[in-house]
Amino acid sequence: MDPVAATLPITGLLLAGSVAALAASLWLLLPKTSDTANSRRLGFLLGTGALIGFAATGRSLGGVGEDAVFLTVAGIAVISGLATIVTRSPVYSAIWFAMALAGVSGVLLVLGAQFLGVATIVVYAGAILVMFLFVLMLAQPSGMAPYDRVSNEPMLAAAAGAVLLGLLTLSIGRLSAAEPPSCCRMPSRAQAMAAATEGAASEDDRSATLIAPATAGVESVDADEVAHLGAELFGRHLFAVEVAGVLLLVALVGSIAVVSRGEATETDHRRESR
Amino acid sequence: MQSSAANLLVLVPLLPLLGAVCTVLLGRRLGPRAHVPAVAGIGAAAVVALLLLLGTANQVGRHTDPKHPVEPVEMISTLWQWATVGDARSGDLPAAEAGVPIAPGTAVSGGTFSIPVALRLDPLTATLLMVITGVGLLVAIYSIGYMHDDPGYPRFFALVAMFVFSMSMLVAASNFLLVYVFWEAVGACSYLLIGFWYTKPEAARAAKKAFLVNRVGDFGLAIAVFLLWMTYGTLNFHDTRLADGTIVEGILGQTRIADEAGYVAGAVGTAICLLMLLAACGKSAQMPLHVWLPDAMEGPTPASALIHAATMVTAGIYLITRSAPLFMGCPGALTMVSIVGATTALVAALIATVQNDLKRVLAYSTISQLGYMFVALGTGTMLGFTAAIFHLVTHAFFKALLFLGAGSVMHAMGGVIDMRRFGGLRHVMPITATTFLIGACALAGVPPFAGFFSKDEVLASLHAKAHPDAHGSDHGEAGGRPSGPGIDAGGVADRGVRPFRPASMTSRSTALAARATGTLSTTDHASTPEKVGLDALDHPSTWRLLFWMSLLTAGLTAFYTFRAVFMTFTGPVRIPKEAGHHAHESPPAMTNPLLVLAAFSALSGIVLFFTNALSSFLAATPSLNAPAVLATAVTHAFHPDIAIQGTLAAAIGIAVAAIGHLGRRSDSPQMERYLGPLGALFANKFYFDQIYAALIVKPLEALAMVTAFFDRAIVDGTVDAIGQVPLAWGSAIRRMQSGLVQRYALAGVVGVLAIVLALAWQLRP
Amino acid sequence: MIPATLLTNALLVGAVLFCLGLVGILTRRNLIVMFLSAELMLQGVSVTLVAWSRYHGDWGGQVLVVFVLTVAACEAAVALVFVLQAFARTGRLDASAWQALREENLPRVIDHGLPADDRVVPTWPHLSPAGVLPEGDDSRSLERDHV
Repeated sequence: MDPVAATLPITGLLLAGSVAALAASLWLLLPKTSDTANSRRLGFLLGTGALIGFAATGRSLGGVGEDAVFLTVAGIAVISGLATIVTRSPVYSAIWFAMALAGVSGVLLVLGAQFLGVATIVVYAGAILVMFLFVLMLAQPSGMAPYDRVSNEPMLAAAAGAVLLGLLTLSIGRLSAAEPPSCCRMPSRAQAMAAATEGAASEDDRSATLIAPATAGVESVDADEVAHLGAELFGRHLFAVEVAGVLLLVALVGSIAVVSRGEATETDHRRESR
Repeated sequence: MQSSAANLLVLVPLLPLLGAVCTVLLGRRLGPRAHVPAVAGIGAAAVVALLLLLGTANQVGRHTDPKHPVEPVEMISTLWQWATVGDARSGDLPAAEAGVPIAPGTAVSGGTFSIPVALRLDPLTATLLMVITGVGLLVAIYSIGYMHDDPGYPRFFALVAMFVFSMSMLVAASNFLLVYVFWEAVGACSYLLIGFWYTKPEAARAAKKAFLVNRVGDFGLAIAVFLLWMTYGTLNFHDTRLADGTIVEGILGQTRIADEAGYVAGAVGTAICLLMLLAACGKSAQMPLHVWLPDAMEGPTPASALIHAATMVTAGIYLITRSAPLFMGCPGALTMVSIVGATTALVAALIATVQNDLKRVLAYSTISQLGYMFVALGTGTMLGFTAAIFHLVTHAFFKALLFLGAGSVMHAMGGVIDMRRFGGLRHVMPITATTFLIGACALAGVPPFAGFFSKDEVLASLHAKAHPDAHGSDHGEAGGRPSGPGIDAGGVADRGVRPFRPASMTSRSTALAARATGTLSTTDHASTPEKVGLDALDHPSTWRLLFWMSLLTAGLTAFYTFRAVFMTFTGPVRIPKEAGHHAHESPPAMTNPLLVLAAFSALSGIVLFFTNALSSFLAATPSLNAPAVLATAVTHAFHPDIAIQGTLAAAIGIAVAAIGHLGRRSDSPQMERYLGPLGALFANKFYFDQIYAALIVKPLEALAMVTAFFDRAIVDGTVDAIGQVPLAWGSAIRRMQSGLVQRYALAGVVGVLAIVLALAWQLRP
Repeated sequence: MIPATLLTNALLVGAVLFCLGLVGILTRRNLIVMFLSAELMLQGVSVTLVAWSRYHGDWGGQVLVVFVLTVAACEAAVALVFVLQAFARTGRLDASAWQALREENLPRVIDHGLPADDRVVPTWPHLSPAGVLPEGDDSRSLERDHV
């Protein structure tokens, strides 16, 4: 990695430019009454450029081969995410969101979290998104409504988001350049396993023995990742899992309770809201 | 004996104070019995005062030394040390002997400012305490009936008891600062009592006026106290002994009084005396500070009787009498006292002749009689001082009687006191009428009532000053050089032991001998008649003028007094409609004090005069034992020529009043017709109030308006403007609260971003 | 374990998704789109967590993501109930319909200058009736624009 100091001015300019470009593009893209097709196109262009600029700043352009898959799925995720928030029709927005989920799932798979990658699709796209669509159909079957064509404070929100992204990128970029501070350095798994095999197993490393690393090497993909995750989940975090189950039950009961009480007094509310 | 008398002395102010405190704390709960603590306190104090009077008289009578006709009697009781400031004078100046008077212009240093709460009992104090507590008790008993259905019943008694306490302390205190404190205290009590019915705007205004006019006098007293401290190094009356044995001579202590060079004359001395005169004018309602007393009649009648007739207004007389040694060195100041007194007496009497309000007549009469007392004081002779106190005592009796009688009339007439609206009341209220008549006779100076004798003594003292050769050679010249039997420089040292002095005073005789021989030759008490400046007023022709003015005033006094009597009590019976069912004689609680006071008014004059009890008693007061005063002592005698002149004046006055008013309807115009424009002048009180309003009140009001405008518009405006700033800010920021949740979230995000950016900037490498 | 470059890339993706979701939730007025943006933010967070977890080899991150998933599901359920309640009261899915908590003397924010509803009214081809029209069938009553 290049030393940060030598290329800092360029990084700064690049970051600033990217922030500005992203802000402008978001502003152009967000639904406003003064939108034209040209403005939307310009917005998309700017947005793409901005995201590339962020990528450059964050030093994320490394070897192409390994990153080609990642680049694709990441691109899908990001572009779909952008599209989710700027599309006017809420139904299209939901569809784009599904696309974004696909991308995110891909990213997770590339990262090696197979269970989660699939879980994302199953839970989000399969359940949550479907619920959203149901509600949309119930409430707004005609598609677009007047309030879908305007945004609240687009300029300020775009600027805020862009600045935040710039900040995060800056820190990520610094991260890649510098060593993490000594207080926060965590031993890599390899070193932990090496320490374990050397016989200095501690209480906190119990999971290390649970895993019984068959593959002692540093691999990008863990063949038994699901099993290991399950062991971790139901071993160390069993209580939390049970609580999560109860939480689901509570949410279920709560929603039904609210709905049923809401229905009982709905007629009064209808009268009030006129 | 001395210590027990001293202890008793503390009780006289203490018991009414306790009564006042009890009334304040328990008054509401006692209900109709709220008068009990106050009356009990004042009554007990009166008993103690009587004991003290008898004890002091005993002391005076016991030690009659044939060589020295009078010996001063005093008993000191020091309660505690109130304030002590060491090294109170600024440094770098040569040290001065504490207690020795400083010639003006000399630098002084050292000296401790110490104020002990000390009370002194001597004949003057004993007399005044008896008058205060006695009249106070009678007035308190009277008030039980008079204030019976007033909602402020407990407050009245608390105030009366408070007043008796303050006045007792004033006459008993042995320190000028304490006198000042209680001077103010009686002024405050007077304010509270005048404004007793504070919801009535006239009463509130009158109280304010009384307080402000008194303030002018109090200012004079304050400056006088400052000058006294600067000149004499101490403010005590009595001599005190320091820890190292040196004696600090009190300003009116026996050491200094006997000392030839004890007092400062000249500019500083005259200034002190004139300032005290100013204070006395304020408190005793002499010109030009008399304007508050007629308005003070807005207060309840018992308060008027107690405070504005018998006691508080005599505080000025007391102060001047007490400071007699200081005045004796400044003949000009003394003459001023007499001139002020005589002028006030005459003017007030003229105004009283045309008043239609019975209480106003009595108020102006009070002013006039106080003027008489000042006239007597200003003569500077033993006869004059004792005549003034004698007149004070008798005036207390008959004036209180007259005021309480007027209160009785007012009570019966349902609050009406305008004499033109009622008449012939002697058929309705016989007791009141009789006692009022006795009081009127005493006031007018009809023999053998009390006022006759006291007025006779006042006129005699004036006559003696006017004709210095006619009354024997044992009068000293004006200013007084120590001469006469038994008083000479050499004899000072062998006066012998006085058993009532603290034993530490034995070194006094040697010190005095040294001082007498050393400094007598350098004192100059103006033994030659050559006088300059203010002192030039002290001339027999001045005194002759004052004598004739006083005689004229006596005639006018008789006239207006009996005019009031005839208008009120003679003629056809007329009752105003406000009387309702009240038009009958007052209850015994009100008439009994009237009877007691009538007895005193009738008899005290004869008794005190023919036994010469009061004069010889008072002559034993240390203050009146100044050699200059003693030198003017004459043998007690009855002066038939002056008595005839006085009685003739009174008879003429009564006759004129009878011609005009006896038996006629009280609202028929009689004498005023003949006065013409003079009548308007008198009726408008010589336009004093208007002059003051134009000269003082209006400019002050204008200044007050300017200040008020400044306060309201600029000061308050600034504060309000500052107060508007948050409001403006708020209304600007308030628009952020639009109810749109997304905007709130945006604000939150922007805020977080700002914080994070700031942190990142701080933590940049 | 994943190499550092992959970490950075993943973190970047997560950051972008998060920020885009933030912008969406602040800006869009449709309640459903707001929730979609919120889910987008959660996605970004998940990616970040998993990236760190895989980088350090610590399972905690992935476990947390599992719980995030669970809670997101509960949240979605409850939130949609409230969205429906809100819709029942105002008949719209507009977040700006709820302004009752504003300051007393502020006026209500009303949209101005919105273009007319450009809802395309579909022109269905009008076919001649084939056969007998069923009775009691008012085609208009089955078609509703809104609930």
